[in-house]
Amino acid sequence: MPATTLPIEAIGLQRHFGSGDDVIKAVDGVDLQIQPGEIFGFLGPNGAGKSTTVRMLTTLLRPTGGTGRVAGFDVVEQANDVRRNIGVALQDAAIDPLMTGSELLHLQAVLYGLPKSQHHTKAGELLERVGLTAAGDRRVGTYSGGMRRRLDLALSLIHEPTVLFLDEPTTGLDPMSRISLWEEIRRLNNDGTTVMLTTQYLEEADQLAERIAIIDNGVIVRKGQPTELKAEVGSPTLFVSIDGSATEHAARVMAAFGDLRPSPEGTLGVGLTEGPSAVSSVVRALDESGVTVRDLELHEPSLDDVFAEATGYRLEGADT
Amino acid sequence: MTVTATTMTPRTRPELRQSTVAQTVALSKRSILSLWRQPSLVVPSLIFPLFFAALGTSSFSRATTAVPGFPAVDSYLDFALAGSVVQGILFGSTVGATALAVDIENGFFDRLLSSPSTRSGIIVGRMAGGMVYGCFQTVFFIVVLLPFGLSIKGGVAGVLTMAAGGTILALAVGALMSAMAIKTGSSEAVQGAFPLLFIAMFFSSAFFPKETMSGLYKTLAYINPISYLVEGFRDLTIDGFSASAVVRAVVIPAILAMVAVVLALWALTSRLGAR
Amino acid sequence: MTALNDTTTSTARSVASTRTFPASVGLMRRSLVNITRLPSAFLPSVLMPIFQAIAFSGTFFAITQIPGFPTDRSINWFLPLGVVMGAGFAGIGIGFSTIRDLEGGFYDRLRLTPTPRMSLVTGPLLAALARAALVTTIVFIVGTLFGARLTHGPLGLIPLYAAALGIAAIGTGWGLGLAFIFRDMRAAAIMQLTFFLVIFLTEAQTPLFIMQGWLENVARFNPFNSVIRLSRLGYVDPPISWDNTWSGLLTIAVFTLLMLLFARRGLTRLSDV
Repeated sequence: MPATTLPIEAIGLQRHFGSGDDVIKAVDGVDLQIQPGEIFGFLGPNGAGKSTTVRMLTTLLRPTGGTGRVAGFDVVEQANDVRRNIGVALQDAAIDPLMTGSELLHLQAVLYGLPKSQHHTKAGELLERVGLTAAGDRRVGTYSGGMRRRLDLALSLIHEPTVLFLDEPTTGLDPMSRISLWEEIRRLNNDGTTVMLTTQYLEEADQLAERIAIIDNGVIVRKGQPTELKAEVGSPTLFVSIDGSATEHAARVMAAFGDLRPSPEGTLGVGLTEGPSAVSSVVRALDESGVTVRDLELHEPSLDDVFAEATGYRLEGADT
Repeated sequence: MTVTATTMTPRTRPELRQSTVAQTVALSKRSILSLWRQPSLVVPSLIFPLFFAALGTSSFSRATTAVPGFPAVDSYLDFALAGSVVQGILFGSTVGATALAVDIENGFFDRLLSSPSTRSGIIVGRMAGGMVYGCFQTVFFIVVLLPFGLSIKGGVAGVLTMAAGGTILALAVGALMSAMAIKTGSSEAVQGAFPLLFIAMFFSSAFFPKETMSGLYKTLAYINPISYLVEGFRDLTIDGFSASAVVRAVVIPAILAMVAVVLALWALTSRLGAR
Repeated sequence: MTALNDTTTSTARSVASTRTFPASVGLMRRSLVNITRLPSAFLPSVLMPIFQAIAFSGTFFAITQIPGFPTDRSINWFLPLGVVMGAGFAGIGIGFSTIRDLEGGFYDRLRLTPTPRMSLVTGPLLAALARAALVTTIVFIVGTLFGARLTHGPLGLIPLYAAALGIAAIGTGWGLGLAFIFRDMRAAAIMQLTFFLVIFLTEAQTPLFIMQGWLENVARFNPFNSVIRLSRLGYVDPPISWDNTWSGLLTIAVFTLLMLLFARRGLTRLSDV
């Protein structure tokens, strides 16, 4: 009986490259506890240690310190047991372009030791599931980016893994393909699969993940539910559209409720020190001082704010 | 539109002086530099011919006396020099042509063509690096092999003739491969064509006298101009300086070079005509 | 979510057993399928040995006139050399395609599977052996059309195939091991160069007794000389006997073992970079 029932657990996980003065601490003591059935978002700037952590948890790279347990097995000592229980969709969907989709699924079935009788039905099922039935006998070299990703996902599901690692699954995909991949991930999660999702897209983590961790310089700098983390960053921002002539006057009124924040042309933004409940007070105060409010928008702190506050970077392609 | 036409006078730009020589020199410099800066492409064409010369000398020296049809030589090394030089030049000259194909692939060649340089200047300039290198290779092989017992019966005049022949041969092979590069615009096609050169060299007297061969193979070796070219070099090494050897060592590559340059220009014209 | 606890705690999965042999065959199939999908990578490995056998025997046609030369047909002498070169490149070619897989990331996918690690070496090995057998057969047929004759009858094919498969196995181990160490095309250059040297620093061109100078000493101590000799047993005049067979077989056995261990070790070390 394994010592733990957590799908993914890392204790002091560490990976150093080189030695002496030149040592690079790619991952320097990472702790993670991922609960059964959750989607866990793993964020970080490039080179922060994201991929290195995932490579260790998926048995591709040996840690230099600490322990990692996946599906109840040690990633070093019981690597093959870990491999039987995890599915991994790789960054860039690295697939042999000379083979066809169904050939790759068959090879994968053989390498995972599926009973021969299941190979055909299983491959057919998965191709249908990811919408590639018609393209199954075409070489992967002819597939579009989205099709490759979907095939990659199908490949990682051949042995019905209970833990799924998705490494930047939607990078480079068009919005439609991205949304359909998200739906598939949710469906898998609803069927009970635990998902660890590394991504550059904060919106993706916000949409899918129940909890997230942010890694920077090899250490976890933030961990928790997105809403909690956003709340920690601070107050929500209220944007108010008003008539141009009254701007200065309105700004003075709004400053009483918190710091003024940068805002789009024709609006004023204020960080509400007392939280969302202060909205009505702001509107009343503006009304009383004779300013006509044309529109109101309340913005919760975004994950981008959390990320920026934790790492000092803003990710490329972030929304704000 | 008639209004604008009257205000526009065509400029002949006399201040931009066209000099074919200056342009060719500039392009030559570039091609020489690019060889110098990529030793990993160049070094094999120095090492392999020497390796085969050394291998052959140890393997075949006894054959030079035991096999009828062999010319009288002190050792196989004297016999092999000519083959080594030609082999090295065949190896080395494809480097320039591959670079030309890469120029075409990445668009630099179009930039050259859109400048007012002469077409033959572009071709010869691209080949210049290869020619300088061909001359260097010839002298290099001779100098390296001298301490190992190589003797040149043709003396200094023989060496100079071989250097000239090597230079022209480099132009011939380079231009031939460039014609291929211009025609296809693919560096892979140029490298893919390389084995053909290698095959052509094998079906000649580059490694063994054509007189000792038999059947169809012998016939092919007798038709192959490379045989006579190699024998020109070889006679300068093992016989001495003679008019007939000079003709074969210099005139044959010169004819090949002319044909190859015409082919390359023709490929260029048809490439420009295609667009 | 009850089903979940069930699966995360179970140690035995229904798909738990992957055996080495079927997995190796699966990997071999993939490699062989790629022959038809990427013929430009495979064709040279067939054409090159054919060309080599014909060109060498044509160019050095007269070499058999040297007194004591072990055969009177030059194609008899150079066909086995072409076969050994072709078979070696069949093995090294596996190294090339592994570099492609490593660079493209597909190799990670293979390493992620629970297939026994050894099958990641034996799979490509089987593929190399199949390719080498194909190349040997083609070169044998073409060489026979060009006048090569088995001096001692069909039995002489056994040492030819043994040498070819042996060199292919050694080349595979060497190619894989270098691919795992360098993980880029630098490995390809080293594979080719070393293989080339090892094969040519033997009796590749002439028998030892004809050589003069340094090569004789090098070839005498080059273990691969015995493999070249093995490949030629069926094509030269001296009768095939255990005395001129065993050293070639021993070299193949020892080097195959060493090279496969080298590859296996390189595979393990992939997890350290």
